[in-house]
Amino acid sequence: MIQLKNVSKIYTTKTGKNPFKRVKSEKLAVDGLNMQVEKGKIVGLLGVNGAGKTTTIKMISTLLEASSGTITIDDKDVIDNRMDIKRNVNMITGGERMIYWRLTGRENLNYFGQLYGLDLNVLKPRIESLVKLVGLEDSIDIPVERYSKGMKQRLQIARGMINDPDYLLLDEPTLGLDAPIAKDIRAYIRKLADEQNKGILLTSHYIPEVEALCDYIYVLHNGKLLYEGTSKMLATQVFDTKKYIFETSELSETKMKAMYAFSDALGASVCITKEEGLHKVNFESGADCHKELMNYIHQNRFLIHNFRVEEADLEASIIELSRRLS
Amino acid sequence: MKAFFNLVQAEMIKQYKNYFHNKFIYFSLFLWPILSFVNGYYQFKPFDFSGVSKSISYLNDDTLLSYVLIGYMAMIFFRTLVQSAWHFSFERTAGTLELVYLSPANRVAIVFGNCLSALLGSVWLFVVFLVGIQLTFSNVQIENPVLFIMASILMVIMSVNWGMLLNGLFIFTRDSAFLFTILEEPMEIFSGVKVPVVLMPFWAQAVAAAFPLTYAIKALRMLMFETVSNSEVLRMFGIMLLICITMFLMTLFILRVGEARNRKTGNMALF
Repeated sequence: MIQLKNVSKIYTTKTGKNPFKRVKSEKLAVDGLNMQVEKGKIVGLLGVNGAGKTTTIKMISTLLEASSGTITIDDKDVIDNRMDIKRNVNMITGGERMIYWRLTGRENLNYFGQLYGLDLNVLKPRIESLVKLVGLEDSIDIPVERYSKGMKQRLQIARGMINDPDYLLLDEPTLGLDAPIAKDIRAYIRKLADEQNKGILLTSHYIPEVEALCDYIYVLHNGKLLYEGTSKMLATQVFDTKKYIFETSELSETKMKAMYAFSDALGASVCITKEEGLHKVNFESGADCHKELMNYIHQNRFLIHNFRVEEADLEASIIELSRRLS
Repeated sequence: MKAFFNLVQAEMIKQYKNYFHNKFIYFSLFLWPILSFVNGYYQFKPFDFSGVSKSISYLNDDTLLSYVLIGYMAMIFFRTLVQSAWHFSFERTAGTLELVYLSPANRVAIVFGNCLSALLGSVWLFVVFLVGIQLTFSNVQIENPVLFIMASILMVIMSVNWGMLLNGLFIFTRDSAFLFTILEEPMEIFSGVKVPVVLMPFWAQAVAAAFPLTYAIKALRMLMFETVSNSEVLRMFGIMLLICITMFLMTLFILRVGEARNRKTGNMALF
């Protein structure tokens, strides 16, 4: 398990035009972060630009050192056991950098595999299986510069898997990809967690991706942990009301009055509008009153045309959170 | 040790495929040093060397070709490695440097592989050309070819260590273009490639002393043109070895300190 305990990262930079009078300034990129990633789980790390997501990923990967706090992976401290940790972790980023364009896909994988000291007897079959897994069989022996964006990204995923790590750190893995390719990659990421028991930490600006993939979410804001939990829990925390919307055959004046009285009794609010011969009822409540509402509809013999419960999704929750913080 | 050399080999192959992707590169690698050498030779050819002979007894019209040739041969080794180190710094921009540092790969093996790849890819054609010129047109007879070959091997080792040191520096500095500028041309001017160091003013001799190439050229010219005592040879080889060891230790230090510093500053990802 990846575990971060009270981790902070401060960047020190020197600014000023005069090289002899440069002023030191400090930027707190991550502030007292606690989080964990278990094997077989996909954990999301969300936040607007500059929230501290990439810094967190790089601290876990050993590329950066935390200014304070501890990071352990399978109970090994990442600073004291840096080389061991490097064998057990890999990082995949979105975009077209971080591969050698003039080399073929196979030459890239071969090189990166040898960086991990893999014997050729192990490396060759692993390359074959990874190439098959990411669907690059037909193009693995042509230079990467001739690959499409999606092919390069799939090669990145194969590259990140070359050392068969227990933990994968994915920084915007579907950045700039077409929807069908991004969907394939998401399915593959899910497979890695479910079938190969990889622990995956994922950052993405594409919120539906995080919602679809992540078992658990951490939201960062200015380096601080703002929220943790599932996307549903986040929605209930951010939005304190639930919406029940239904359309019914035209309501009489009496029935409408009774509806208002019913909502008052539950401490809810109701808005009834007339649209194309139907009445649309918008019932909003802070508490879960699904059962009571269904009973009321049944007892009063409303002729329901459609009924839906509107719950806030992750995207709406994040937008709302950002709005409140700005 | 096997893992170390496997990694060196992997790095060499990667660099070779990354930079020698086009056959015309060989043409430019060959043509450019030849033009430079021919230019250097004909710059000196019209001059009367009788005045210089007081300071350097062996330099005259007959030995000029071999004199310039030795300077250029040694320089091409060192200059190639300055350029290869500069090229290696581009890996920072490409993001691949971060991946190297993400892995547990031996950092010394990486920079060593990069230097060897540059040497084998860039130097051999020019060296063959120079040896051909020497054998065909030069009247100079080397008194002790074994010692001369040993000095040449030491020069190659020195150049590789120089390359590794520069690789370390270029990886961890974001101002590699500045380093490239202050190392490339001044090295050619001050190391005695063309103008003998002994003829330079004192301040320029002090600058020359900072470049390992100066010692390599001095050793090769001494063994080519002069009769040298055993103790002098030993002293010269000792100095060359000491420079190699110093450069190697500095490389280890820079790689270690540079990486630790980048882990704190996060500069690895900046360019």
